[in-house]
Amino acid sequence: MDDYKFLFKVVLVGNAGVGKTCLVRRFTQGLFPPGQGATIGVDFMIKTVDVDNEKVKLQIWDTAGQERFRSITQSYYRSAHALILVYDISCQPTFDCLPDWLREIEEYASSKVLRVLVGNKIDREDREIPTHVGEEFAERHNMYFLETSAKEAENVERLFMQIAEDLMKQARSRDLPRYDASTTNINGRTSTVSDSNCCSRFQ
Amino acid sequence: MCFGCCGCCSAFRPRYKRFVDNIFPVYPQDGLVKNNMEKLTFYALSSPEKLDRIGEYMYQRAARDIYRRRYGFVIIAMEAMDQLLLACHAPALNLFVESFLKMVQKLLESTEPELQILATQSFVKFANIEEDTPSYHRRYDFFVSKFSAMCHSSEGDQIRIAGIKGLQAVVRKTVSDDLVENIWEPVHMDKIVPSLLFNMQNARFLNNEAKEVIPEDQTDPPMLAETCLRELVGRASFGHIRAVLKPVLKHFDLHKLWAPEDNPNNNEFAIHTFRIIMFSIQAQYSYTVVETLVAHLDDNAKSSPIIRTSISGVLSKIIAIAAGESVGPMVLEIINSLLCHLRDSVKHGTSMTEEKQYQDALINALGEFANHLPDYQKIEIMMFIMSKIPFPLVDNHTPADNLLQSILLKSLLKVGTKYQTIHLNSTFPVSFLEPLLRMSLAPDPEMRLLVQKILHTLLDRHQNLEKLTKPTVNVSKLNLVLEKSSRPDLIFINKHGPIIYDALYTTLQMDSNTPDNVEAVYTTLALLCVELASAETVIDLLQLVLGIQSLALNSTTLSTSQKFNLHALVISLLVLIPSVVTIPPLLEYANQIVEARTQEAPHLLPDLMVHYPQDSEVANKVPHLLVDQMAVCENLKSGGIDPSRLAQTSPYGAGGPGVVIGGQRNSWIETARGSVIDINAPPEVDSVSSSPGVQRKMVEEELTFESMKKVLTESVEIRKEAEARRRKQLSDTFRTATFSELVRRTQPKHDVLQNKLNEIFKSLSANDRRNPTEEKKIEKPAYEQNFPELFFY
Ligand SMILES: Nc1nc2c(ncn2[C@@H]2O[C@H](COP(=O)(O)OP(=O)(O)OP(=O)(O)O)[C@@H](O)[C@H]2O)c(=O)[nH]1
Ligand SMILES: [Mg+2]
Repeated sequence: MDDYKFLFKVVLVGNAGVGKTCLVRRFTQGLFPPGQGATIGVDFMIKTVDVDNEKVKLQIWDTAGQERFRSITQSYYRSAHALILVYDISCQPTFDCLPDWLREIEEYASSKVLRVLVGNKIDREDREIPTHVGEEFAERHNMYFLETSAKEAENVERLFMQIAEDLMKQARSRDLPRYDASTTNINGRTSTVSDSNCCSRFQ
Repeated sequence: MCFGCCGCCSAFRPRYKRFVDNIFPVYPQDGLVKNNMEKLTFYALSSPEKLDRIGEYMYQRAARDIYRRRYGFVIIAMEAMDQLLLACHAPALNLFVESFLKMVQKLLESTEPELQILATQSFVKFANIEEDTPSYHRRYDFFVSKFSAMCHSSEGDQIRIAGIKGLQAVVRKTVSDDLVENIWEPVHMDKIVPSLLFNMQNARFLNNEAKEVIPEDQTDPPMLAETCLRELVGRASFGHIRAVLKPVLKHFDLHKLWAPEDNPNNNEFAIHTFRIIMFSIQAQYSYTVVETLVAHLDDNAKSSPIIRTSISGVLSKIIAIAAGESVGPMVLEIINSLLCHLRDSVKHGTSMTEEKQYQDALINALGEFANHLPDYQKIEIMMFIMSKIPFPLVDNHTPADNLLQSILLKSLLKVGTKYQTIHLNSTFPVSFLEPLLRMSLAPDPEMRLLVQKILHTLLDRHQNLEKLTKPTVNVSKLNLVLEKSSRPDLIFINKHGPIIYDALYTTLQMDSNTPDNVEAVYTTLALLCVELASAETVIDLLQLVLGIQSLALNSTTLSTSQKFNLHALVISLLVLIPSVVTIPPLLEYANQIVEARTQEAPHLLPDLMVHYPQDSEVANKVPHLLVDQMAVCENLKSGGIDPSRLAQTSPYGAGGPGVVIGGQRNSWIETARGSVIDINAPPEVDSVSSSPGVQRKMVEEELTFESMKKVLTESVEIRKEAEARRRKQLSDTFRTATFSELVRRTQPKHDVLQNKLNEIFKSLSANDRRNPTEEKKIEKPAYEQNFPELFFY
């Protein structure tokens, strides 16, 4: 009943107010929280999904976009299997910050991490970033791309399911970064793959 | 599938499952079935090999109950697991622990705050038990991540408290055995440290400043977080300290805690936090904190002066705690860094008040640091600061040079104030005394005043300074503290008296002197007299006093007021000297003059003024009110002291411009009219830096200091070091060779040489940057550019 074959850690990042928390709550709880307050530090949610009749547990770490929490949020990148970088399609500055976020991801996350670019709030009328612009950016930086609406539940399920499927494929081909605290090098970056089964095939 | 309520199938189930099922009541509100729990415990104790299965089964049940939101049963399961954990000590416990931790994690993953808190409590219990054989593959990554997230919860204090306690438990569990999990890895510390600080920063911590020990059961998140931080820091060994400090600094930067937005001048949280760290850290590592903060100051070179001031302020507050433990090259490294910051700050902006505050904060930090060092290190520090001071040249071309000099002198004064002289010869090694005296001839009267103040604080061993700040003829009212001077002191003054007196005499010739300057020289002389009171020194002092009087009479550059100042100084000393050394006839003579002047020429007595009444008679016109050399000699003789030396020609000139007479003056001064070659080409200045003569000289003069500095510079590239040494040698040579020249240049006369020297010193100090990339630029050293002829004979 609680058994799962795979455990994946997914971390959401992006400017404050782009809707990270709403996306997570839409996915894990199936709701769009009215008056969602800014995240303080880091939030945590769990959801188990089925992929190819296998149970996959997604551990979702929802980070605060506010700059002052950067020190703690960055420390969560390191163990992520997938990073979801979110911007708000109706807010140009959140898109303009993407290069900064990528730099941070480069610095703190594993090089093998699955990176997904998400343009959220497509339900809004006042779009500022055309779809193709986001798409091109994602392509240039070797990322998956998806546009979502946490409000209208558009593409949210698909986003996470896609990630779960992809990570599982990677895991099957044993290409998934494995995290082991003892194998981080001086730079604090995960460099080695350990033998231990830490993407957790609990049986 | 329904356990616990289905008695009929229980008969076919394994025994351990039945034992487990039986501890659950029908209705969760009835709680754990106690006697069945006892049975289960007994069973587990007698069949320890079954523990792992019991654990796994309990976990499975609880997972199901969570899924079905039957939280009552979950709580009971957790309680039962707690009890089993505490009851069992078997080696098999290891396997049970795996299930136990899975259970805890499961509860932490739920969205129910109650379950999260419960899970944390269980985890804390677990952390407190000692396992025989810790499991090396066990990872605490999730717990650190989750507890850290809980520390930020906006759902109220309870979750945060649980988060903090959870972190504390992880630390306790892992800290003693690196093989289990290296909790000091950045991946963990970067979560734990900011989480604790985040909880601390909202505290009304100031009220609790006094309490250094906080009770364990504190339930206030800030206090709890503080306790946890203390524990963490206290357990950090040398290799781990940076792992703790780095996230602290980052957190302070990001949360703008150095200078909070709502109150930029309030850095009390920063001070509070760093004090906590200093008090908790193992004492022998405490200087690492200072070092790290100094480095952080480097990193903030571009930040606003408010932030830099705040960091320096924190430094000055904690530096004392570290100083006692700091030994070896660290001290100079820190001092050097602070001095570099001072210099950089001077370069930045000189006018901004914020920048000034920053400089003050740095000077304070320097002083605080020095204050807590042993005295021998203070001397080294003073010499070190001295070596950093740009030399006073004829004109200080830039205000920045000027400011840097005065700031460094202020630092020197600050350090000097903390130093307690015992023997003058250890306080004033030649390599310190000479540059200091040279500095006492700086063109800027403010700077000269500072130098005198430094001399005061270093000379005054008997707390007479206060009493001697102003010239006075009422010496008996001063209640001076006197002590017979020791042999080493007398040797010192015999050896160095001439250069000291000479420098004081020369500084009195400056036409930019204010009464403050003259008073300061009085204080120096008075202190010398008091500290070194002896018949032997009396003659030298009186010789100087008479010299000053003739300066006042004959100088063509000093103003009338300045001359009056000098006369007042002369008479004050003439009263002081026989009072201290007890020469009644001379004292009587001095008092007669005082009396006569009181009647006829009060302007020749203290207090010193800037402006005197129009009708004040110049001293030359009242010879009977002056100090007469013959009379002094006679009074000395009747006081039992041989005045023959005094009767000889005075080493002090008549005080006219440029008339510093050689001959009898100490050889240190040499001739004032030395040619360019004399000054610039002593044997030391050699294009080959390894000239043995030079080396030996340096070793002799600056043994400890040099060795300290060597350690200091050893870390940098050899090339840079070699260049610096050459530069230092050269500049030392200039320093030692050109004193007479400096003396001459203090008079209003310029020549080509001065300008040339000026250029050199300027380019020397310009080259002397900290930026290593600049250093690397292979350039002809400044002195080669300016004095090519010196290098190619
Ligand atoms: N129209 C619309 N609004 C959304 C959507 N998703 C989020 N919002 C709104 O955007 C605001 C911010 O959402 P959050 O989920 O709190 O944003 P966040 O990225 O978690 O912000 P931080 O926690 O501060 O980093 C809220 O007012 C949401 O109601 C969406 O898909 N459509
Ligand atoms: Mg959020």
